Formats: sequence, C-alpha cells, structure tokens
Amino acid sequence: MSEPMLRMLLNGLWETIVMTFVSGFMGFVIGLPAGVALFLTRDGQILENRPLNRLISAIVNVFRSIPFIILIVWMIPFTRMVVGTSIGVLAALVPLSVGAAPFVGRMVENSLIEVPHGLIEAARAMGATPLQIVRKVLLPEALPSIVNGASITLIALVGYSAMGGAVGAGGLGQIGYQYGYVGYDIVVMNTVLILLVGLVFLIQLTGQYIARKVDHRK
Amino acid sequence: MIELKNVSKTFHKHSGAVHALSDVSLQVAAGEIFGVIGASGAGKSTLIRCINLLEKPTGGEVIVDGSPLLTLTPRRLARERRHIGMIFQHFNLLSSRTVHENVAFPLELSGTARDTIDARVNELLALVGLTDKRSEYPASLSGGQKQRVAIARTLASNPKVLLCDEATSALDPETTRSILELLKDINRRFGITILLITHEMNVIKAICDRVAIMSEGRIIEQGAVGAIFSHPRTELTRRFIASSLNFAIPPEYAARLKPQAPGHPLIRLEFTAESAGLPLLSTVSRQLNVDHHIVSAQLDQAGGANFGFMLVEITGTAENTQKAVDYYIAHQVKAEILGYV
Repeated sequence: MSEPMLRMLLNGLWETIVMTFVSGFMGFVIGLPAGVALFLTRDGQILENRPLNRLISAIVNVFRSIPFIILIVWMIPFTRMVVGTSIGVLAALVPLSVGAAPFVGRMVENSLIEVPHGLIEAARAMGATPLQIVRKVLLPEALPSIVNGASITLIALVGYSAMGGAVGAGGLGQIGYQYGYVGYDIVVMNTVLILLVGLVFLIQLTGQYIARKVDHRK
Repeated sequence: MIELKNVSKTFHKHSGAVHALSDVSLQVAAGEIFGVIGASGAGKSTLIRCINLLEKPTGGEVIVDGSPLLTLTPRRLARERRHIGMIFQHFNLLSSRTVHENVAFPLELSGTARDTIDARVNELLALVGLTDKRSEYPASLSGGQKQRVAIARTLASNPKVLLCDEATSALDPETTRSILELLKDINRRFGITILLITHEMNVIKAICDRVAIMSEGRIIEQGAVGAIFSHPRTELTRRFIASSLNFAIPPEYAARLKPQAPGHPLIRLEFTAESAGLPLLSTVSRQLNVDHHIVSAQLDQAGGANFGFMLVEITGTAENTQKAVDYYIAHQVKAEILGYV
C-alpha cells in the first residue's frame, strides 16, 4: 500500500473517530436531559406529567423512526443553516447528533427505570428535592447501565458515520464506499473493515471495563 | 409528636376505588415507641407513608411536631422531612456510595460543610458499631449491617421522629433482636419518638410502649402494650398475640384428638393479667380431685403484664373435669376444650 493511501486511511480513521465521539457527546447533551425528563414525568414518578411525557415521547419516536440515511438528506437545509455546509465531517455531525439524541434519551430512560424505586422514596423521605434526586440518586445509581448504553450508542454511531460517508460525510465510510463499491479495491475495502471492527471492539471493551469499575451492586 | 386526624386514603385502580385507609386517627406522644400491627394489605404501609407524605392522604390531617404537613409548600415539606427519619424493610442504601458516603447523604442534601459531615458520620458509625466498614460498599454487608447503616443515615440529620417500615422483616431472629435493641437504645438516649409498623407481634412485645391493631384500613384496637396483650378485645388481636406465642397442638396429640367424649379433655387455657398470677392449677387439682398434664405452655410478659397460654390434658371424672373448666372461666381464664384424648 502506498504512503498517500496509508495517510488517507489514517485520516479517514481519525474523521470517523471524531464523528463518532463528538456526535456521541452531542447526543448525550440533548438525550440525557430528554431521558431524565421522560423518566421523571412517567406515571407514578416524582414529576408525573402525562401530557409532557407523551409530547417528549412522540418527538423521540418520530426521530427514531426516520432511517438515518434519509435523516441526513432530510436535514440538509437545517445542517446548512447551522454549520454553513452540507458535506464533510462538520456537516455530518449535525444529523449524527440529532440521530443519536433520541436513542440516548430512550436508553437513559430505561437505565433509570432499573433503579429500585425504594431509593427514590428514601431520598424523598430525607427531604431531597427533585434535582437532588436526579443528581445524587438516579444518575449515580444508573451509571453502570448508562455507560453500557453509551458504548451501544457509540457503536451505532460508528455505523451511522459510515453510512454518512456514502453521501459525502468523509471518514472511513467514504473511503470504503469509494474504493470498495465504486473502484472495487479489495485491499482498501478490507483495511477499512478491519479498522472499523477494531474501533468497535475498542469501544465495547472500554465500555465494559468502565461499567465494571463503576458498578458496586455486587 | 405525631398526630393523625381522620386520615383516609383511597387509591383508584382499574378495578375501582380501594380504600387503603378509612378514618384513621392516632396520637403518638413525644419519646414513646408506638407500634402498628396488621396483616399484609391491612393498610399499615400506607399509614406510615402518609406520615411523611410519601403518600398523600385523600382526607384528614397529619401533624408532626406541631406542623400541619398537608398545608406546607413542597420546599417547606422537604425541610420538615429532614426531621422525620425513616428506615425500610429493604434498607434502600445507595449502591454507588460507600457506607461513609451513604451516612453523609442526608447531610449533603441539607448543604452541611464537608468537615462537619465527616465528624458527624464518624460519630454515627461508632454509634451503630460499623466504624471498620466505613469504606465498604453496601453490597458487601449483611442484612443487619445494612439496616445499621440505614439507621445511622437517618439519624444524621437529628430527626425528632423515626418511622420504621417493616424494618426487621427481612432479617433473621437474632439480627432482628439486635436491631430492635439498637432502636430502643436510640429512643432512650436521644428521646426520638419511634413509630413502627410490623406484622410480627414479637416486635411489638420487644420494644413498643403502645400498639394499634389495623385491619382493612381501620384501627380496630389501640392501647398500652400490656393492656392489649392481657385484655385483647378483638379476635384479630387475640390471633396476633397467639402467633407471637407459637401456639400449636403437638402432632401426636392432634392425631389422637377426638371431637367428642369419652376421654380426657384437652384444654387450652389463656391467661390474662388477672389470672396469670394466681395458683389456679394446683387449686383446681386439690378442690376437684383432677390431674393436670401440661402438654405445652408459654407465659410471657409485655409492657409489665403477664399473659400466655397453656395446653393441658385434665384427667378425672367427667363431672369434675367439666367443673374444672367452669372454675377457670370464672377466674378470668379463657378455657376452650379442643377435643378429647
């Protein structure tokens, strides 16, 4: 493999990593509060509010039902408005973040549901405010499960970013698509795949390691 | 210290309205240990949760330490709750925090300074005897140790009232005893008023001053523990007392028991405060020329009153054994012929 080719692959790997982690982070910035809100407004929870819960839930469902490849195209006007362009890594970050957020929201909601209800009750009995319950009880207790969810989210984003590559997002996806599908260069295509597999393994193993470290339940 | 006035609570389920509490009134004086006993589903859990408003009553008044809790804003209520400690059947410790951090939790909630928190936590862990476990996580503790951490945690904010929601129901008898002793010690040392709910009469007998018996959302009987044990007025109360006495006919007797004479009657005698002190058995034996064969017996003391039961086979003539039974009844002993052997 030639040196320019190697450089291109490394650059692609870097772009994929940036897309995955930055959009993962952005997905959490939007999805975490959404997930907490989904949980708190459920029936029988401390801020029970059926209309609000239904509204957030509907928004989440709408965004989760749009296939990602269509979401990218559909969001182009919005993406242009936010970052000024619709191609490249920066442009890909917008639909990736928007695609990740509802996913993260549901995942956080599910992690919070697993927290034993008695803990919330005990905190209320001790005079905790809803914000204190979220910060000091719910999130720390759900942390192992949220960390696991985060690795699932990041791995999904690796896949999404590759899909974005087909429509000009850059990263390993674009290289694999151009050299593999268009040019049928087996070496490049397989190298891209190996790099993607390696990245996914790394995320999964790191996620498991952190989840185990923060889990004191047994 | 705690006053409930005509408190009621109705849950609306798909199957219709469920009246968990109907017109419940009770008063717990400062410094006393008050027990509420009832079978599961009797409403005692709802009752205790209505005191700190974890459950909001549908009607009535809840007054704790002079504050009418139902009229408070959420912010004021949160502050009042810091003076109302609560411990639970399943401990409800935070798994992500060490023992030390768990005990520190309520102090963090009230914004106490770090140094003050550490000093107070160390003091509390010494009180419950868990100083050496301070850096452990709850998962590595036994049930009794977890409940001690929960007690230390609830004492951290110097509560005036402690609510115990089936606090010993998940523990073995030995551990139950040590936790009850700790509660009694706390009650005496700090003058904390304790209200506990349980389904075990042994818990009431061990530490309560007064007791209320609940059934189907109502309090059917309440009073000093000694008075209730020696003079139960309702059948349910009598059953709870019997359950604490471990009353059962030995299997080999049960197999031989016939519902009708002939034979010697097997009698259950229930002693109350008045009768437990009298030499009744020997008096009856002498005067009526009958013999008593004691099959099993348990006499106990609660709240300063004697009570208990005895399972006796009486041998003698049919006429005299009947007279013996009449004699017992005349002397405040509840006598019941279980059968003939």
